[in-house]
Amino acid sequence: MSTKMLGLILAGGKGTRLGKLTANQAKPAVPFGGRYRIIDFPLSNCANSGVRNVGIITQYEPLRLNNHIGNGSSWGLDGLNSSATILQPYTDNGGSKWFEGTAHAIYQNIDYIDSQDPEYVLILSGDHIYKMDYADMLAEHEKNHASLTVAVIDVPWEEAPRFGIMNTDSSGRIIEFEEKPAEPKSNHASMGIYIFNWKRLRDVLTAGFATADDMVDFGKDVIPYYLKSDERVFSYQFSGYWKDVGTIDSLWQANMEFLDGSDGLALGDRSWRIYSKNTIDAPQMITENAEVTDSMIVDGCYIDGKIKHSIISANVDVQRGSEIVDSVIMPGAKIGKNVKITKAIVGEGAVIGSNSVVGEENGEIAVVGNKEKIGVLPNENK
Amino acid sequence: MKTSKMCAIFSNQHEYSHLKPLTDERALSTLYFAGKYRLMDFALSSIVNADINHIYTLISQEKVRSYLDHLGGGKEWGLDTIGSYEYLDFYQNLMRRRSRGENYFDDLILFLKTCKMPYTVFIGNKMAANFDLKAILHFHQSNGNRITPVFKRVEKDNLAPDDHTFVLSDNNVVIEQREAIELTSEAPFNLSANVYVMDTDWLIHELEKAQKSGASYDVSERLAVLAVKEKANAYEYTGYLRNIHDIASYYQANLDMLEKDKRGSLLYGKQKIITRIRNEVGTYYDKESDVKNTLISTGCTVKGEVKNSVVSRRVNFAKDSVAKNAVIMANCKLKSGADVEYAILDKNVVIEKGVTVKGKPDSPVVIKKGSVISKDFVLD
Repeated sequence: MSTKMLGLILAGGKGTRLGKLTANQAKPAVPFGGRYRIIDFPLSNCANSGVRNVGIITQYEPLRLNNHIGNGSSWGLDGLNSSATILQPYTDNGGSKWFEGTAHAIYQNIDYIDSQDPEYVLILSGDHIYKMDYADMLAEHEKNHASLTVAVIDVPWEEAPRFGIMNTDSSGRIIEFEEKPAEPKSNHASMGIYIFNWKRLRDVLTAGFATADDMVDFGKDVIPYYLKSDERVFSYQFSGYWKDVGTIDSLWQANMEFLDGSDGLALGDRSWRIYSKNTIDAPQMITENAEVTDSMIVDGCYIDGKIKHSIISANVDVQRGSEIVDSVIMPGAKIGKNVKITKAIVGEGAVIGSNSVVGEENGEIAVVGNKEKIGVLPNENK
Repeated sequence: MKTSKMCAIFSNQHEYSHLKPLTDERALSTLYFAGKYRLMDFALSSIVNADINHIYTLISQEKVRSYLDHLGGGKEWGLDTIGSYEYLDFYQNLMRRRSRGENYFDDLILFLKTCKMPYTVFIGNKMAANFDLKAILHFHQSNGNRITPVFKRVEKDNLAPDDHTFVLSDNNVVIEQREAIELTSEAPFNLSANVYVMDTDWLIHELEKAQKSGASYDVSERLAVLAVKEKANAYEYTGYLRNIHDIASYYQANLDMLEKDKRGSLLYGKQKIITRIRNEVGTYYDKESDVKNTLISTGCTVKGEVKNSVVSRRVNFAKDSVAKNAVIMANCKLKSGADVEYAILDKNVVIEKGVTVKGKPDSPVVIKKGSVISKDFVLD
């Protein structure tokens, strides 16, 4: 059975700028918003857009990610003519197939893509927070008879030099691509979301690697090549919330925007649900001593302290006398008594012993790594 | 994949008129409990936590929708894997066949023979408890029993009129069984938890005998009688158990979950309670919110005051609303100035602006599913 549009999520990146939070897991597996992981956004967007077959390309520390995705059932991708396939680098008679760049990762997985026999491939990043209907983008791709459509978002002009900028003509056709231009001519930034006609992309990749004109990266190699060869390359204008959470600052900020509702993501909207792997947890318990304001808390939590303007993820314990302000506490963290956590991200399964102090109001965002232990936690049951 | 030595008979036969209107449209088994759960989750989780995946389920044909809606394909409970076997039957079917003089246990016997499991567990639907069925099987085997009943020592308030209690010898051998309604003696009572582990061959034999003699179709009643006849060693369950049979017991059982020990025993034991996945966003507590001593599920928005309450999913507490000592089911809305105390709000209830709903500690007000309350309702 052929697939009209196959989703391919690039989830192999290390996310070096997230430091300790990606020391033992890939960036797309980093928790977000209390009960999600970053990859839930592209995966749920695929499911909600009717992209029923999705390949997830992993490379760096894939264990947690693989466990999270499983057979895709959490996103309803385990039905008939529907699948979630984890694509790991492997070796064959030609040698090992480590992925050296975004386009190279697609090239290395040509066998998988051919087996799905798609007309179009939808290339996505595994590290962006947004809601988007890819079916809309495909409709525009078809209407334009495009060979490649690049989703773009208008960024503030002063930030444009940090992005790949697409310069378009009046029909939305991309005529020039500039990677991080010092003096940008437009503010249409590439979101790293592409729809390619698979047949053409396949030819470009195989011909490139066969003739030492290596197509390693979409931004550096493939898109410039398409423009140079006068392919029909169009932009798809997106205007909702979109956040690259590649740094500690942006991850913290995206969580806070989600908490404040200023992102407009409205994750409670049941018409475009963001799905995630469900952990089996009891409801959250807010005790007599707790004080919770302007915060978001999820299942499995036991809150005996004070929570202010923070996100508390699944299965977090906060003991008496502790105070958490302007922070993101990731799943399974244990916070002892009389702890003060301010403007921090506390990693998964971290243990903060009683009387510890983490972060400060006017400081940089403090980070406690996954499973990191600070101080001593008294052994106390719930 | 063979994973267990047991198959299960899950009986959802119990219904109580004293739980109306909460059970008007739903089976007792699918009544909300402890926020995000339904009562059947407890028995069903005990079953699947013992790696049992062959289940004969008896339900009422009148309440089949709520049951199937919650269970779906059984995915959450791992009952959709290869090798799982679910058989659904209506207990009205058994009644009908019996009245026609037909063999009313034939389907059940066929199920037991098909499973080829040496042991069978029978479990009822109304007890909120977390049973370790593997431990009970171990007890059953080491005692050489043919049937092992499970009991819990309880006070009178934890008994329903139709419950069975056991009179036990010093070493917990069942000497006699009585219906709770006939009780004259003093507490504590040995309440039958309506859980029995049995040798399957013996059970098949007893079921064949029963239907030949036209005995009751009520399996649970039959097993209590057989436990006496067999002089069985009973297994004492020492964890949390609440018998849900009327509004008071339902209300109390929910509020029990605010107590650390009881909550710990039922919800945070080594066996997790599994329920349907709903993919809700986290619960948001506004700057003005004031929440104390409350068990609350995901998807809620809290802008008011919530104290000593148990709250299900997607409940909305507007600014200046108050909920105290309340059990609130999914998707309720308390509008600004609403004041709810000693009450059970069924699913989708709306309490309009400034409206007071107040019961008493021993007789909470019950608001029917989907009601919109726009006038004060206060019990004197």
